[in-house]
Amino acid sequence: MENSLNEKESLDLISQMINTAKNNLQKGTAKIILLWGYLVAGISLATWVLLETLPFETRYHAFYLWFLMVAGYPFHFMLVKKIEREKLVRTYIEGLMNRVWIGFTISILMVVFGMLIDSLIVNTFAEAVKPGHEFIRWFHWLLLVPFMLCLYGFALFVSGKAYEFKPLTYGGIFCFAACFVLLFSLHKTGVYGIQQFTLFISAVVGFVIPGHLLNRKEKNDVQGS
Amino acid sequence: MFKDLDPLLHSQLRLAVMSLLISTEEADFVFIREKTASTAGNLSVQIEKLHEAGYISVKKSFKGKMPRTTCRISPAGISAFEKYVEALSEYLQPK
Repeated sequence: MENSLNEKESLDLISQMINTAKNNLQKGTAKIILLWGYLVAGISLATWVLLETLPFETRYHAFYLWFLMVAGYPFHFMLVKKIEREKLVRTYIEGLMNRVWIGFTISILMVVFGMLIDSLIVNTFAEAVKPGHEFIRWFHWLLLVPFMLCLYGFALFVSGKAYEFKPLTYGGIFCFAACFVLLFSLHKTGVYGIQQFTLFISAVVGFVIPGHLLNRKEKNDVQGS
Repeated sequence: MFKDLDPLLHSQLRLAVMSLLISTEEADFVFIREKTASTAGNLSVQIEKLHEAGYISVKKSFKGKMPRTTCRISPAGISAFEKYVEALSEYLQPK
């Protein structure tokens, strides 16, 4: 590959090489998407089932299942470490996307912890809540799932566009639509069940299906092993 | 008046290496070798020439027990690459 080039060949070579590298996904990215996809889908489905089956007074215990999300982090960091060890190239898009997903995680954690703290404060001063206004202790939790879906939509849509991988983009659009629909169902009876079931479907469409498709794509054209 | 093309970049393998590096933050020697379909010996020589010219930085490390070479384009390399592309455009679209 040490031949001299004419000007046209030079430009063609530059274009070919840039195209080779620009949308590179690291091998293992799909596994991270699948890890969180299956975890969210499994927990939301189990929560929905418990909400539908537990007695009314104790059904809120179903939400404790969400603490299981913490279990995803050790596996997440193991996968990231493996990717870092095996990667052969780091693209600018990849660096940018990592930061988008870090921002996504911080946003989710901020809102969840903010709501937890708010609930604890409201409960601490429960006597100050006027009779008939007890809903303010829990009302904000109704907005959590739509907010999560909005963030899922954002991160998936941007990733899909950046990597030019349509299933992720469509997954993002589905999450946006699900968020929009849920915002119109806040007043419905059984809203928590509706939200958990919608979250389950969104996790499957947004993460699980694109994750499996990406896994297949990685085997064909992704660098890193 | 046409600009001279940088002789260091006007070579198939060195230009391929620089094109790969300009579109990545950093790339492993193995990745560059696979994408340019070159031999390890020839690639090492060309990478050394680009390194000596200050166009790229080269980092040697270990991946487990295996030696690993990672390349990254330098600001001087980016500038040289931009000038090269600009000169090429002038050749292809003379005013």
